[in-house]
Amino acid sequence: MLERLQRLVMRLETLLVCVSLLLLLALTLGQILARNFLETGIPHADTIARLLLLYVTFFGAALATAHDRHIKVDVIAHWLSPVWRNRLFRPVQFLGMVVSCLLAVAAWRFWQDEWQFAAQSDRWHVLVNLILPTGFGLLTLHFLFALLLGEKREHRQT
Amino acid sequence: MMAVAIPLLVLLATLGLPLFAVLAAGGLLAAHQAGLDPAVLIIELNRISSSPNLIAIPLFTFAGVVLAAGGSPQRLITFFNAFLGWLPGGLGSVALTVCAFFTAFSGASGVTILALGGMLYPMLRQVGYPERFCLGLLTSSGSLGILFAPSLAVLVYGIVAGVSIDQLFLAGIVPGFILLAMLIGYSFVAGLKAHLPHHPFELRAIWPAFRKSIWDLFLPFGILIGIFGGFVTVSEVSACTAAYVLFIECVVHRTISLHRQLTELIREASILVGSLLIILGVAMGLTNIMIDAQIPMQLLAWVETHVDSHLQFLLLLNLFLLVVGAMMDIFSAMIVMVPLILPLAQRYGVDPVHLGIIMLANLELGYSTPPVGLNLFIACQRFKKPVLSLFRATLPFLAIMLVWLVIVTYLPQTSLWWR
Repeated sequence: MLERLQRLVMRLETLLVCVSLLLLLALTLGQILARNFLETGIPHADTIARLLLLYVTFFGAALATAHDRHIKVDVIAHWLSPVWRNRLFRPVQFLGMVVSCLLAVAAWRFWQDEWQFAAQSDRWHVLVNLILPTGFGLLTLHFLFALLLGEKREHRQT
Repeated sequence: MMAVAIPLLVLLATLGLPLFAVLAAGGLLAAHQAGLDPAVLIIELNRISSSPNLIAIPLFTFAGVVLAAGGSPQRLITFFNAFLGWLPGGLGSVALTVCAFFTAFSGASGVTILALGGMLYPMLRQVGYPERFCLGLLTSSGSLGILFAPSLAVLVYGIVAGVSIDQLFLAGIVPGFILLAMLIGYSFVAGLKAHLPHHPFELRAIWPAFRKSIWDLFLPFGILIGIFGGFVTVSEVSACTAAYVLFIECVVHRTISLHRQLTELIREASILVGSLLIILGVAMGLTNIMIDAQIPMQLLAWVETHVDSHLQFLLLLNLFLLVVGAMMDIFSAMIVMVPLILPLAQRYGVDPVHLGIIMLANLELGYSTPPVGLNLFIACQRFKKPVLSLFRATLPFLAIMLVWLVIVTYLPQTSLWWR
């Protein structure tokens, strides 16, 4: 049940990251063409491109958590036996979950402030910025999945 | 509190807690201690979207992933083998050139060893190169091209340090070619010593190989012409590169099927990008808190009392970065260290562009140095050899790279020749 839910979340994240990256590519190319051939620009293209970058970052980071592929400085863990590495897996996921959860709460408070003080014309921008609390929420969720499901064979092999 | 928290966080990092979580935990604790709202970390993280050059990172990464999956390494090996393989030690030179070329696109994320190592290792062994030489060459070549455009490492330094990426790309050309020439020279000598057979020069073999790889070979020139010709910005050239790479792999060579492989390729690229940019985001928050607490100023004051000259500073910088490079991967090392080192370097008259090349050169060595040299671990998986024997195999290459590091550090003209 839990594994199915995890797979579903990952599929959704993959879909969203694909859309975000392809949109980012199309938008940047469109901007070059519009500027050079039509002597104009796509309205808000730069702002949208930067927001799409945040989407790619957070969905990519969520997938990195799901595949246990975050950048680590695991000097000691590298030299430990597989048994000890396995024992450490759950406590590490727990700590990752706590930190991500605290960041999600901070991001939510930040977003609420932004929403409260945003001018009516900027509200769409703030709305799209919901990716900040959502992204950290997804990281928390993936750490929770890993905590409950334990180390997968895929992770052990890598 | 921080006196206990910092060693604890370092311990947790060494036990496998992702680096972004370690930095974020440090930031949250520092904010708590300073009586600040943790939302300050998010404000800084949100700023990553305001850097226009940052868009280049996902797009160049995507291009690198598509090239790796599309068979570009095989085409490049065929071409450079026809072009250089007739020299004594020619195949070693081919391996070095292809790895440098490919690493510039794949971002030294280990893809080079995985994608090229499996093909080049049996080729080198078949010609008669000693096993140790082959392992050393392929392990240390995994980070060989990080100074060449459009290397992700250069982009990250430029963004974190606020230095022009165009200037960094220009500054990396000569040091990058010096290292390549030095390693090719070593391969040439090794080939002569071992009396290795090499195929005769055949113009007829070059033409078909050139025709097959011409689209790949055009890429670095296209990027440099695009940027330095003033036609496009760094982020725009990354979009052009991604579109061009998709075109050559899907339409010209037809090695990638869009509807079957595109999702997987984007997912792979996004994992690399997400794991890198999330660190950048949280590190910016932590840096801001450190600046508020005047930590860089305190560090500067401490260094000023102990270091008297420019030369002494460079020497200490080299030693420090070599240690950092052996402990951290290149991207996280730059994100964490640049805000601390940059003010010091400027105080001692080191140009920020030159500092970037020095940092990248030091950290490039760290890639093949225990305990966490990424190349060692990837090569360990790829070639099924123990890390220590791989480290021994890389020693001659590391010695050459150390000489190169001295040249690059103490002769700033090699990086700043264009000024």
